[in-house]
Amino acid sequence: MSEYPGDTEGATAALVSAVSTSSASPLDAARLALSRDLRLAFRKRGQLVQPLVFFAIVTTLFPLAITPELSRLRDVAPGVLWVAALLSSLLALEFLFRDDAYDGTLEQYALSGQSLTWLLFAKTAAHWLLTGLPLALMAPLAGMSLGVPAAAVPGIVASVAVGSVALSLIGAVGAALTLGIKRSGALLSLLTLPLAMPVLIFGARATELAIKGGGYAAPLQLLGALAVLGVTLAPLAAAAAVRINLE
Amino acid sequence: MAWTWFHRLGSPPYIYALAGRLTPWFAWPAGALIVGGLYGGLVLAPPDWQQGDGFRIIYVHAPSAWMSLMVYTTMAVAAGTGLIWRMKVAHAVAASCAPIGASFTFAALVTGALWGQPMWGTYWEWDPRLTSELILLFLYLGYMGLRSAIEDVQRADRMSAVLAVVGVVNVPIIHYSVTWWNSLHQAPSVMKLAKPTMPPSMLIPLLMMLLGFTLFFFAVLLVRLRAEVLSRERSATWIREAVSP
Amino acid sequence: MKEFLDMGGYAGYVWPSYGLTLVIVVLNIVWARRLLARSREEARRRLAMRGGAT
Repeated sequence: MSEYPGDTEGATAALVSAVSTSSASPLDAARLALSRDLRLAFRKRGQLVQPLVFFAIVTTLFPLAITPELSRLRDVAPGVLWVAALLSSLLALEFLFRDDAYDGTLEQYALSGQSLTWLLFAKTAAHWLLTGLPLALMAPLAGMSLGVPAAAVPGIVASVAVGSVALSLIGAVGAALTLGIKRSGALLSLLTLPLAMPVLIFGARATELAIKGGGYAAPLQLLGALAVLGVTLAPLAAAAAVRINLE
Repeated sequence: MAWTWFHRLGSPPYIYALAGRLTPWFAWPAGALIVGGLYGGLVLAPPDWQQGDGFRIIYVHAPSAWMSLMVYTTMAVAAGTGLIWRMKVAHAVAASCAPIGASFTFAALVTGALWGQPMWGTYWEWDPRLTSELILLFLYLGYMGLRSAIEDVQRADRMSAVLAVVGVVNVPIIHYSVTWWNSLHQAPSVMKLAKPTMPPSMLIPLLMMLLGFTLFFFAVLLVRLRAEVLSRERSATWIREAVSP
Repeated sequence: MKEFLDMGGYAGYVWPSYGLTLVIVVLNIVWARRLLARSREEARRRLAMRGGAT
């Protein structure tokens, strides 16, 4: 019951041959992997929208469950936005490795002689561009539906944008660890969410300060630090996990 | 010289025999220290001027909390060792650690809550230490969940080892962020579970309990390790002699 | 003795804490020993089966 577009093999073959035969630098290989992922994702545009719709739905759940009063919603808005963003990014993790693990691309990446760490970093970057960044752009809209003032928009975009980078990276590790486990949704959440809690703490605080009109530089910097740490360590861990899965 | 010793530790029959011989050396001192610590803490130590006899919960809460962190670190170090040097025995150590650590994390949470109720007026207050303990429990459960979800033992070992290493790096980050978070929303009166200064009559039983529990952990670990090593060595020849009654 | 059990009024918190910790200590001991016994039993069984087969 496969709905994979026939040209995945073509795109992959092109990438792998370009990468293994030439003396491509890790950066070139990464760039190729990134553009491949973006191209393939755009063929299935419908799927890209799903995490965003999920985000909108989850955001809607809270007013329904709590109150329609904007003044009260504004108080819980940072938490609501970030929990919704966290859950949406969890949902979107499915798209990171699933197809490539299924059609053997991951295996070819591992065997290609190129740095698997760089290739997985590229995949995660593509994933963020496709899910995290749109989420960051959508978050202000959701926020305003919760009574958040327009002045808070830059702060919300900044915090969700940086935070979702960290979330994508943490998620990549979780997704790599659960490769090959059937029905791993619950386990993936169990592994990823505790690791994501610091991101949640700093991100929600930055958003809260932005809503209140104060300076949100401190938590934003802490978020940035987490993102940088993630960029350094997560692709390594994910690559280790992918290799273990392929052994 | 040290390398030979390290290699011998990686040999399952050697570990099986060594663990068996070492267990009493940890178990009995652990028992003595715990009994002594209990007596010192429950009977000899004077009541706290602020918390009365309620503070005595520290003699079970602090060792449990200490265990939860120490065991996780041991687990991560063992897992990392197994990953880097491909030592089956190291992975067996990591696997043996997890249930012990998780159980004491649970104990730390419950005793912490029981301590909190008379002191803060509520069983749960999202204070940084207990919140960190809760997240640590989630990390343990995730580790054990991942292990049980992967059927192949070797793959389970190595995957969960990656998770353990990632987790141990995150523990200080989680602790820092939770403390930071809590300090933002601090209620004016803070009841700390830790005691800043303790007279020797209170401190010594505490140290005895901490050390006793540590030795207890190693004793239990050694027993579990033997079981793990045995169950992994499907058809090795050394087993025949090891298990003959 | 009654004072001791009373724990200055905190008995309802102190004794359950000690009780739970004791339970967990005992549980760890029992569980570990049972695991080892079962492993040994299984190993013996495996050896016996193989010994009988050859």
